[in-house]
Amino acid sequence: MNQSLIYEKVKSGLRITREEGLLLLQKEELLDLGEMANEIRYRKNPEQQVTFVIDTNPNYTNICNVDCVFCAFYRHAGDSGEYTYTVDQMIQNFKRAAANGVTTVLLQGGVNPAIPFEYYLEMIERTKKEVPEIHPHFYSTTEIIGISEVSGLSIQEVLKKLWDAGLRTIPGGGAEVLSDRVRKKMGHKKGTAEDWLDVMRQAHKIGFKTTATMMYGHLENDDEIIDHFERIRALQDEYHGFTAFIPWSFKPGNTPLEKIIPNFAPPMRYLQIIALARIYLDNFDHIQASWFSEGKKIGQVALHFGADDFGGTLLEENVHAEANFVNKTTVEEVIQLIQDSGFTPVQRTTLYEKIKTYEFVQAV
Amino acid sequence: MPIYFRDKYLPPIWQKLQLGERLSLEDGLILFKTNDLISLGKMAHYVQQQKSGDAVYFVLNQKIEHTNVCVLSCKFCDFAKKKGEPDAYEMTTDEILSKITPEIKEVHITGGMPHDWRWERYIDIVRSIHNKFPDADVKAYTAVEIDFFHKKFKLPIEEILRQLQAAGLRTMPGGGAEIFTERVRKLLFPQKIGAKGYLEVHKTAHKLGIPTNCTMLYGHIETIEERLIHMVKLREAQDETGGFLSFIPLAFQPGDTGIKPKNQFTSAIDDLKTIAVSRLMLDNIPHIKAYWVMLTEEVASVALNFGADDIDGTVGQERIAHDAGAISPMKLAKDKIIKMISEAGKIPVERDAFYNPLNVYSENVIGKIPYLNSVPFYHNLEKSATGGFKILPVAPRRMGMLSKEGQIDAGLFSLMDYFDQEENLELLDWCIATRDQVKSVMLFSKEGWTGLNGKKIGITDDTATSVHLLKVILEKKYNVRTEFVRLHPGVNDYASFDAVLLIGDDALKYNKVGLNGFELVFDLAKEWYDWQKLPFVFAVWACKNSLSDIRKEKLKDMISAALNKSEDEYGEIGNMQGRQIGLNLSETKEYLEGFNYRLGERERETMSMFRKLVNEINIKV
Repeated sequence: MNQSLIYEKVKSGLRITREEGLLLLQKEELLDLGEMANEIRYRKNPEQQVTFVIDTNPNYTNICNVDCVFCAFYRHAGDSGEYTYTVDQMIQNFKRAAANGVTTVLLQGGVNPAIPFEYYLEMIERTKKEVPEIHPHFYSTTEIIGISEVSGLSIQEVLKKLWDAGLRTIPGGGAEVLSDRVRKKMGHKKGTAEDWLDVMRQAHKIGFKTTATMMYGHLENDDEIIDHFERIRALQDEYHGFTAFIPWSFKPGNTPLEKIIPNFAPPMRYLQIIALARIYLDNFDHIQASWFSEGKKIGQVALHFGADDFGGTLLEENVHAEANFVNKTTVEEVIQLIQDSGFTPVQRTTLYEKIKTYEFVQAV
Repeated sequence: MPIYFRDKYLPPIWQKLQLGERLSLEDGLILFKTNDLISLGKMAHYVQQQKSGDAVYFVLNQKIEHTNVCVLSCKFCDFAKKKGEPDAYEMTTDEILSKITPEIKEVHITGGMPHDWRWERYIDIVRSIHNKFPDADVKAYTAVEIDFFHKKFKLPIEEILRQLQAAGLRTMPGGGAEIFTERVRKLLFPQKIGAKGYLEVHKTAHKLGIPTNCTMLYGHIETIEERLIHMVKLREAQDETGGFLSFIPLAFQPGDTGIKPKNQFTSAIDDLKTIAVSRLMLDNIPHIKAYWVMLTEEVASVALNFGADDIDGTVGQERIAHDAGAISPMKLAKDKIIKMISEAGKIPVERDAFYNPLNVYSENVIGKIPYLNSVPFYHNLEKSATGGFKILPVAPRRMGMLSKEGQIDAGLFSLMDYFDQEENLELLDWCIATRDQVKSVMLFSKEGWTGLNGKKIGITDDTATSVHLLKVILEKKYNVRTEFVRLHPGVNDYASFDAVLLIGDDALKYNKVGLNGFELVFDLAKEWYDWQKLPFVFAVWACKNSLSDIRKEKLKDMISAALNKSEDEYGEIGNMQGRQIGLNLSETKEYLEGFNYRLGERERETMSMFRKLVNEINIKV
């Protein structure tokens, strides 16, 4: 087995194996990896275009009972700084966002058992009715599992009711690294890898579209990263319910893990992960690079390593901010960052439909 | 892996690069305009690998800005102050000395240009640092400052540089180049010296044996054509003197300068392209620096895959000092840089001001002699170095020193270094031996052999073997006694010697074009062959005894496979290096074919004979 044979496979559109993936992750030169990734990126999306979405990431509560060691955001009920907003307050938030051109609200919160199921449903219904410009992209798998436990309904019943309330897409957060070894170490109350996959599977079966994510750079090893890719690729074969894959590195600031892992994974690692994801996840339409999680400059570079989407504008973001990781942008800046990278910026919806194509500007 | 180009304009450029041909300004435009960033990076990485293997250099350095008072008012500068302004400062020599710690290897001095400093004060800074910290190389004063001294103190540039050199100046920084076109100069820094003045100062320094860096400030109002014109001018100057050590592209930071570039900061893509294009255009400048303080650590580390092989140093780490507590800030900074380089898959190499490796922070390092005649080993070794070995180019003499310190695990050793460390090394089955003549160890002489009695010979610092071979030939074959004087690294004035011993690519180059004033040229390998009827062995492959058997086997397999493959590729390999020393394709091929790379009976016989003869002479340099 060697790298050029793998490249021949990639060129002829064949799927690479777990062993080949591991070899690429551990041995392949960075630029060779990028070259292979582009082979697939341009086959799937031949245009020299990069999409982005105008979105915001507010949170309705920071009260959470899962106690993940990688999280600096959560509080317990009664802690100073805890909050839970009413549906009214959130609708006001969404209206302000809509006025700023936002089309997608990615809404997540802690797992707060004091909140009744009706609250979640009302949030969807009222958003659809009162802020129709906004596409609700609400509730991670962890929250859905939490709702199921509190309400006594099965995951399938919960998802069905969310669908009936008007929800059509679900964010892919909470996957972290899909390894039970890692998950046990990181948050003993967080579900297993199979729990995450199961919520996604049932959601896709109903017709939901979701993203898949990976937060790496903490306790996982290379095998577990490949395993993560393997499991989401297998699930994608079943219903094709994932719109995109979004990786980011763990930000240790203010988390219990900070003592063991003082720094976040280097940019080289991010570029390797982006490129390998593009190669491995041959049934995913999009790989998302982020100006947000690794910095604007590395986000730009990632667009040349297989990513074809630049994520959202994240006009509001609180989770990374609690880890002292703050990165802000504007719609204008996102457009320029994409142009400066040598691509035509295209604004998209949550479902990756193209809304508006901007100008191509010859960079440098 | 081969390059799969997405941009159809790139393959002709790749063709040129593989033939060792020089790129034109038009090629540069294509490179800057391409959206195929990966292919651009791969080409630059290929060229960088040929030049410096897996090495990425850093230096423990300290920046001294002796004053911010300046008579100039350059638009892009938010550092300079006028005398009497509240935050203007001028440091005394004692204050400067107090900023330097003993572990510093390079002191980088630049500052404003106040109207009332005396010439002696500038000399005193250099002398005091050099005297108090002899291990630190003083790198001082940009061309702009030198030109200022020249005008203010009414001394010729050469005299200014001579006095600084006598006080301890070793190298000069490359600041002040900005962009070499009059259009940009008039708009942004009309008081600065411009291309002509800048290059004159640098070329004068090179001729005195003071190597320098060169820079380019990009990302303001310049066009891509202007960046390329800038690079081409530097390349032409380097053709004349060869004194530039590294090129440093500096991304413009608008700060409070009032200049409004298109973007607040250069994009990462522009940064990486500029690094890659400069590696490809500046074929005669040894190193390209990704100056992490300006590029950000993240982009600098990615740039190490786009043609950069130097990351500057610990400069700019002062802020860390406040958070560091008990640990020395220098140690912290050093650890961080080593981590940054290792994460990019490269060898962190601590260097001195002349790019001599001082410490190598990696396991499984193979030393590479950076001469054309070793290309058949390394060309394919580099491409197949998946066995976990990494390649560090290093002059033969340095290889001996690093090996002695245990910092190198294997490599081609100059024969004398092998003799010296024989008990710690295992001899492998490969070498660089001559068939009859070699053309790359040459004595350029004003006299015939016997006429050299009592004369002074300048000898290269690079390898002990050639020096011993020369001595053996002089004393044992011709019965002649001479004085050996070591040439210093960089540029030398050969005229003061009666003969000069040059090896490697320098010898090859001057053998072709001639060395002015030296009419006789002797090929030492031929002298040896005519005398002993044996091939001469310049270098042998060896590895540490302590390397595990598995690693040794892996290494042997790698060398053997690499050499066999290369021997099928004569005519295609070594062309880039050949071109640079003025050989055409067939001359390069013929030169390589003149060597025997396998250590056989006759080569072993040479080793014994040479060892015996060397023991009978006494060398003093």
